[in-house]
Amino acid sequence: MTALLDPPSAPSAPEPTPQIDDVPRSIDPGLPPSDRIFFGVSRVIGFSVFIIMAAIGLFLGFQSIPTFKRYGFSFLTESAWQPDKDVVGISAVLVGTFTVALVAMSIAFPLALATSLYISEYAPAKFKSFLVSMVDLMAAVPSIVWGLWGFFLIQPKAIHLAHWLHTHLGWVPFFHVDTDPEASPWAQTRYAASAFIAGIAVSMMVLPMAAAVMRQVFSQAPVGEREAALGLGATRWGMIRSVVLPFGRGGIIGGTMLSLGRALGETIAVVLIVSPAFDIKFRPLEIGTSTISQLIAGRFGEATSSQLAALLTAGFVLFIITLIINTLAAMIVARSRSGAQE
Amino acid sequence: MTTAPEVNSLIPTYTDAPATDVVHVRGGSLNAVGVSAWFGSNKVLEKVSLEMPANTVTALIGPSGCGKSTFLRILNRMHELVPSAKLSGQVLLDGDDIYDPGHRITETRKRIGMVFQKPNPFPAMSIADNVTAGLKLTGTKIGKSDREALIERSLTRAGLWKEVKDRLKEPGSALSGGQQQRLCIARSLAVEPEVLLMDEPCSALDPTSTRRVEETIHEIKDQVTVVIVTHNMQQAARVSQQCAFFLAQLGTPGDIVEAGPTTEIFGNPRDPRTEDYVNGRFG
Ligand SMILES: Nc1ncnc2c1ncn2[C@@H]1O[C@H](COP(=O)(O)OP(=O)(O)O)[C@@H](O)[C@H]1O
Ligand SMILES: [Mg+2]
Repeated sequence: MTALLDPPSAPSAPEPTPQIDDVPRSIDPGLPPSDRIFFGVSRVIGFSVFIIMAAIGLFLGFQSIPTFKRYGFSFLTESAWQPDKDVVGISAVLVGTFTVALVAMSIAFPLALATSLYISEYAPAKFKSFLVSMVDLMAAVPSIVWGLWGFFLIQPKAIHLAHWLHTHLGWVPFFHVDTDPEASPWAQTRYAASAFIAGIAVSMMVLPMAAAVMRQVFSQAPVGEREAALGLGATRWGMIRSVVLPFGRGGIIGGTMLSLGRALGETIAVVLIVSPAFDIKFRPLEIGTSTISQLIAGRFGEATSSQLAALLTAGFVLFIITLIINTLAAMIVARSRSGAQE
Repeated sequence: MTTAPEVNSLIPTYTDAPATDVVHVRGGSLNAVGVSAWFGSNKVLEKVSLEMPANTVTALIGPSGCGKSTFLRILNRMHELVPSAKLSGQVLLDGDDIYDPGHRITETRKRIGMVFQKPNPFPAMSIADNVTAGLKLTGTKIGKSDREALIERSLTRAGLWKEVKDRLKEPGSALSGGQQQRLCIARSLAVEPEVLLMDEPCSALDPTSTRRVEETIHEIKDQVTVVIVTHNMQQAARVSQQCAFFLAQLGTPGDIVEAGPTTEIFGNPRDPRTEDYVNGRFG
């Protein structure tokens, strides 16, 4: 209104060009209603995911305060979990958690890499979608089934492999088992119910996710660069090494870390296979270990309220660890060339 | 941005190429015999035969979709990268059929290099590493000083050396589109191919880079046989000695309507369709 009162170009003004404010102007045309509804709904859903995550974190963090107040730093350093003696700590279960995850990842990583490379680079076109759905099917198998598979089918074989590894690589502390490998008969039970066997089962559960992420980025490797390499006389493997793998590096790392996040929290297979033990040890081939989620699952039912608080604190630590790992994974994927292109 | 300094040096740069360290004295001769091509059940080339003599530049011209790229890609076995692609006929390199089961694909592709329509340097590699990528990919060992000489020679031949000699360690993706294309040419030349196939190498380039590429073609044709697809009639007339006009009539596979010396195709075409096309009255 006031603009009308001002003479837009007073005759006295010598300047012929109209006055233009030198400030950024709004050029947003606004959204049509259908888009606005869609954006509104998806924003609410997106935010509610965030809110649920934050609520879980806050709830666990809140519940953890008494435990941290009572035990302080020793909650992280103490290895025993004996609430009746008022001694609880998660150092042993933390080590166990990472040992199982490490075993799982060292099996899942090469398999996922090979699987995804085969599917995206070598498999005949007709075969491809079949293989993709097979890998997806692996992800759909319930954890309990993998646990049973590990217990009944893998364990009897894996103890022989563990024994073999101990016999030949036992001088490496990681492959050591506290028994005489040469004894006859050798102590089969010392090799059973171990982090190694649980790790095999867990690896099958996390493999599909790693393979899916890797395959996705490999298939996005630019055709132009692929043809450039092949046109120079590269073999297919040479092309993969110089184009596909560098391009997919972010996806390889990110997919592996996402799987790691899942491997750290895997519960039921570990509960089924491993016999609980609370000493800090880096001997995955040997019987007995404990992981955070196994601890929680095993003790939850009979816990008193203060024990429950301690278990929730352990859960909080696991939550924080996986949150950090998944965030890092997402950042790596987003920063990489393959992620940035989406 | 990049054109401003380049304009001053529009004079051909190839004169500063050391003429002594040329490896191949002559390029290879290519001969396509009765080449047909399919994508699935769709036949896109019908019994195309074309001789591409050693050390000449052959231009392939014709409207879009008539199978020029397909034909070119058949010449160094890139066609078969498309899963549904099939072909028949022969492609003879110095008399030997490159599709003979006894020939290794990698060796064929090394001898017959290719420059693509869209510049495709390896973005994660430095400029220098891009130039020598072909050696690395084919497992060819080279000493450090030889490597540096090869990088300089290849970039010089591609008309890029002066612009990048102080930034060889920068990534290839840091260059402009025209420079990237010349880097790709340098990369192809570094493996000393006998034939260089170019699929509309200048279609996305600025005029200065286009000139440089044309100068490069002039300069290398004594050592390399060149086959170039182009939509630019002036370019075809400028760079080529021989010309082949492709055409695909509605619903039929592509074929060569007329092939011969460039001066004939442009000056005195036998077929009226050729005349229409080269004079811009067509497609
Ligand atoms: N990858 C492909 N899959 C299926 N059809 C293709 C493919 N590439 C090209 N064609 C078809 O082959 C014909 C010739 O294409 P092309 O050789 O690219 O022509 P030009 O290079 O002369 O423009 C076109 O009809 C095109 O649709
Ligand atoms: Mg084309």
